[in-house]
Amino acid sequence: MSYSNTDGFDARAARSSTLWERMRSDARTWVFLVPALAFFIGYQAYPIFRVVWISFTDYQYLTNQPANWIGFNNYANALSDQLLWTSLWRAVLFTILFLPGCIILPLILAILIDRIRNPILATIYRVVLLIPAVIPSTLVFVLWKWMYNFQSGPINHFLVKTTGLFSLQDAPQWLGGTALTLPAIAAMEVWWGLGYHTIFFLAGLAAISKELPEAARIDGANEWQMFWHITLPRLMPIMMILVVLRFGSAMAVIDEYLIFGGFNRDSPTYTWTILMYDQAFKLGLWRQGYAAAIGMIGSVAMMLVMILLLRIFRTKG
Amino acid sequence: MTQKNSISLESVDTRSWFSRNMAAIIRHGIINLFMIIIILPLAWVLIMSIKSRPDAMRGDFWPRNFDFTTYAYVFQKIETLPINLWNSIYVTAGTVFLTTICAVMAGYTLVHMRPRGGGIVVTALLVSLYFPTRVVSIISIYEIQHSLGLINSTVGLILPYVTLNLAISILIMRSVFQLVPHEVIEAAKVDGAGPWRTLLTIALPMARNGIVVIFIVNFVTAWGEFLLCSTLTNDQEARTMPVVLAGAQGGLGQWTWPNLAAVYIIVVTPGIFAFALAQKLFFKGLAEGIVKG
Repeated sequence: MSYSNTDGFDARAARSSTLWERMRSDARTWVFLVPALAFFIGYQAYPIFRVVWISFTDYQYLTNQPANWIGFNNYANALSDQLLWTSLWRAVLFTILFLPGCIILPLILAILIDRIRNPILATIYRVVLLIPAVIPSTLVFVLWKWMYNFQSGPINHFLVKTTGLFSLQDAPQWLGGTALTLPAIAAMEVWWGLGYHTIFFLAGLAAISKELPEAARIDGANEWQMFWHITLPRLMPIMMILVVLRFGSAMAVIDEYLIFGGFNRDSPTYTWTILMYDQAFKLGLWRQGYAAAIGMIGSVAMMLVMILLLRIFRTKG
Repeated sequence: MTQKNSISLESVDTRSWFSRNMAAIIRHGIINLFMIIIILPLAWVLIMSIKSRPDAMRGDFWPRNFDFTTYAYVFQKIETLPINLWNSIYVTAGTVFLTTICAVMAGYTLVHMRPRGGGIVVTALLVSLYFPTRVVSIISIYEIQHSLGLINSTVGLILPYVTLNLAISILIMRSVFQLVPHEVIEAAKVDGAGPWRTLLTIALPMARNGIVVIFIVNFVTAWGEFLLCSTLTNDQEARTMPVVLAGAQGGLGQWTWPNLAAVYIIVVTPGIFAFALAQKLFFKGLAEGIVKG
């Protein structure tokens, strides 16, 4: 025990020894945390605090003028700008379009696959399901940019040449800021997450004991009653986690909008994230103070809803 | 009478076959519909990459003539292609390597060395998961990279890339190391092993599945990162392959459809291969990581 060891038990024993030994023990332990903390603080914690500070100044990136503290001016300006409200509403709209599909479709699929008894088929289904999940984000977007291409994309080719439902003139314009753009992106996101979410639900279904449904069946419960009273309540925790996580990612989408929509203010893809990016890196002298305020408003609004959702789910579950 | 009987018997048989199998037929039908929806877009790209040029123009799903030379052609004709691919490879390798080291060390320490203030670290990591850090912090990450002289630097991308999945990676490793009994670590210490040796020879082999998970998660994220790369670099030579593909306008010049598709297949294959190889370990590790998380 004379060595001040790095283990927790010895550290507790060292607490009674000298201050010097205690500090040495702590330092030895914290050495292991240094690499992770260096990155976490440098590229995650510090940038957030920096953005919070910038949002209270008139900071513009491309000038040599020192930034001045202007209090809540940026926030007041942003909140009185109609464009901010429009852009927030567009993010909400996308979330509404995306969330139901990304929860319900995987749930149905998981329940169907869970009943497959043939082990080979079950494995094949699972592997196919996870293929989109291991395609990196940008490559998913690139793929669907081609799918949705107006002239040479396979979807319009199918609608015009193969089935003749549309002519070349009135074929749907999926991308490029039309009303179809947000649903089209939402459909892509559902496709991307389908397998991953289904695997989540399958893990939940596997945890449900097989005796309970058997007993219910003997008591005369039908399929629907069994789903509603046995399966669904047990899948609720997984569903809640997915809803909260997916709400967060849907509200803060940015890459897809940059790739599919660009910086056209009339496009439904011009959401708060794009508004922030536009102000910070494209317009004028890069008014990053104002952009930071927009970013903070969007993030805080989003987090409040997430906390609310967690609260509701916690009281329910 | 006998005839009537046999008919009714037959019809009873047919009906029972259907009622016995109808549910299964519908079930398999719906599942296969989903499978087709998942596979079709990828099949389209794969077939496009081996279509002859006239067939690509025609646009039919199945080509009349195949042309496998496109894969060689893109390497000869698209000058930045090898550079972009190489950029993707070393940025991803660097990111995965650094994140894994950070996550393993931090996860192990938080569980088995119980540092003072460890609870605060875990809370900070958890909170960061609920905040859209990636979107908002881009403003000051640009500033940091500029002050370090790393704008338009490909290697410089590794630094912000490491943090993309750092918090979740540490938390996954933490729950994986929680499955390693503390007594085992204690025993190693009694035998005179230092903290490094205990981690490398005792704890790490037991956390293998978790490492596979964070390896794949970080690989997929870094390989396909768009926002940071397109913001922090300006030249096509400095960018990673997916970002160049995202900017390519299909159908024209060096980016004809078969060319684009061939490059796409080249870029997307490593991830699918890596996953296929590590699939079993990945599912195990995922289960271990979710148990506590």
